[in-house]
Amino acid sequence: MNMIASWIGNIPDFAVPFALAALGLIIIERTGVLALGAEGLMLVGALSGIGASLMTSGSTFWALIIAMIAAAVVSQLFALMVLVMRINQVIAGLALVFFCQGLTGLLGTLMNWTNKPVPGLHAQPLWPLSELPVVGKLFIQNPVVYLTPIIFLLVVLVLNRTVLGLRMRAVGENPQAADAAGIPVLAYRCAAIAAGSALIGLAGAYISVLSTKMWIADMVGGRGWIAVALIIFARWSPWKALAGAVLFGCIEALIPQMAASGIRLPQYFVFMTPYAVTLGVMIWVAIVSRDNSSQPGALGEPFIREERR
Amino acid sequence: MFDATNFQPLLARRYTLEVRQQMAWYWQAVVIALALVVGLLISAGILVAAGVPAGELLNEFVILTLFDSQSLRAVLFQAAPLIMVGLAGCLAFRARFWNLGLEGQMIWGAIGATAISLFEIGPPSLRLPLMMASALICGLLWALAPVLLKLHLKVNEIISTLMLNYIALNFLLHLVYGSWKDPRDNFPYSPQYRAFERLPELFDGLSLAVVLALLVALFVLWFTGVSRAGLYLRFVDNSPGVARAVGVPVSRVILGTVLLSGALAGLAGFMVTAGQEGRLTHSFYAGYGFSGILIAFLARNQPIAATVVALLVATLFVAGRSLQVFYQIPFSMVQLIQAILVICVASSEFFIRHRIRRIQGGQG
Repeated sequence: MNMIASWIGNIPDFAVPFALAALGLIIIERTGVLALGAEGLMLVGALSGIGASLMTSGSTFWALIIAMIAAAVVSQLFALMVLVMRINQVIAGLALVFFCQGLTGLLGTLMNWTNKPVPGLHAQPLWPLSELPVVGKLFIQNPVVYLTPIIFLLVVLVLNRTVLGLRMRAVGENPQAADAAGIPVLAYRCAAIAAGSALIGLAGAYISVLSTKMWIADMVGGRGWIAVALIIFARWSPWKALAGAVLFGCIEALIPQMAASGIRLPQYFVFMTPYAVTLGVMIWVAIVSRDNSSQPGALGEPFIREERR
Repeated sequence: MFDATNFQPLLARRYTLEVRQQMAWYWQAVVIALALVVGLLISAGILVAAGVPAGELLNEFVILTLFDSQSLRAVLFQAAPLIMVGLAGCLAFRARFWNLGLEGQMIWGAIGATAISLFEIGPPSLRLPLMMASALICGLLWALAPVLLKLHLKVNEIISTLMLNYIALNFLLHLVYGSWKDPRDNFPYSPQYRAFERLPELFDGLSLAVVLALLVALFVLWFTGVSRAGLYLRFVDNSPGVARAVGVPVSRVILGTVLLSGALAGLAGFMVTAGQEGRLTHSFYAGYGFSGILIAFLARNQPIAATVVALLVATLFVAGRSLQVFYQIPFSMVQLIQAILVICVASSEFFIRHRIRRIQGGQG
């Protein structure tokens, strides 16, 4: 019983990075830009969050803000590649990941930020709920966990209920029509890349500053790619992505629980589970549904005005 | 032309971007070379910022690595697995398959070869060919699932190959920290291969690996340029729809090519383990997957160009290792430089495909 309670209490810590990264990716991809760079931007967020926390002697608030800004700034390199230079969006996304992996590995070592502990945030109990049996620990979390559903709600409202959101979706579905209607396509895409990347950076900083509380090279460990897979399962819908993130959070939270409970399983096979589950869900989704209608219509296609038909 | 529009104020002139029809190949080469120079200058700037004395850069990268016979041999030796992963990348990309699973296939190739060594399968004289065959087959099998999933269920191969990398990596760790750990000490690696299980030196310190890599490059050149499969492959690359309509067995061509790509990556894994360390280590594959993709991209999927680019990347690897020793610069620098070069060369396409033209007159 105790074990289940502590497992449930750990789920948000693992689910929030997936959720925030997936939400950031949805913002970008809804405007028609195929974003594969999440893994790299999460690394940037993770490293800059730790760096900021160490430099500001432990201010976690500023660490998270700076992580978001850093990821948004680095994402403009991707924006330059896909919007201005019109590089194939797959190549640009991969190049961004490799660039960020190299950059964070280099800076982490040169600045001597590796394995330095940071304070993180204290858990705040939400009083009446935190006294519940079994699920009580779900409501003793750091403030970012409570903030995550609110961020989701805000993004969904903006995307579905405002003119801004309508224009974003128009740019993603049919940029030629949007352009003809006077919407600045590239400006919208650029802003979406910056905003989405800020959330992805926050997801990375969550892993380093709030969860692990230190920087280790390449610590994101494929979670950015899982987030990319997640939005494909979720058919670009934020709420489904949140549900998927919670599912992956449950699986990841099991890993330390199994080690602690003394169940004798080969640990490296246990570490494989998130990746194997991702693969399994991808296959399952491919078998069950063949509809591509919810995918943004112009996803992956560069908008080139001179080639307007 | 001497009409009124020529006298319009400067602001009324507008500049516009045009899609170019075609650019002569030598101008394309000039643009790409310029992009490489820009990339190298940026990289040099980062190296200087990271603490390498500016005057030492040329010495470290060019003179010490290329004009010293020992490190030239190291470069050639390093180039062998890079040529293999580069060719593997070329093949997969020609089949329009984003094989990001080169590292996973390398890991399985190396595991397959090491299994032959550990369990002493076959007589000593046949051991080396058996290990290579095992590496080829294991790499091929690890590429089988993603290509079948893509062909039959349209599962995105970028994600599936990457996920399989992480699974292969954890399996490798399971082996080298577990049952395959060298009983003699406590490090995460397998027992060393015996002398007859390693690729021998042929003459003047030139490893068989280099010769093998060049032979494979020739084979890939034949496969893509001369063979019937290569002709089909060009069809598929240019227009899968038309290829299917004229009766090209599209699925089989893609399947075969991607499996060959996986097999070459598997052999690359064996070359790395049979080379420097002579054993399966926990991080032998690091960096090769990305380099394979980079080599294929820079070489525009051409086997000969891939061999040349692989030699340059090998120089970067060897120089990167000496920077690590002498200036404590982490090996991630090598990855960063490669990424910068990719970004610069990819951006140069823009200048090849577009030109800026001035429109005269105020009306746009």
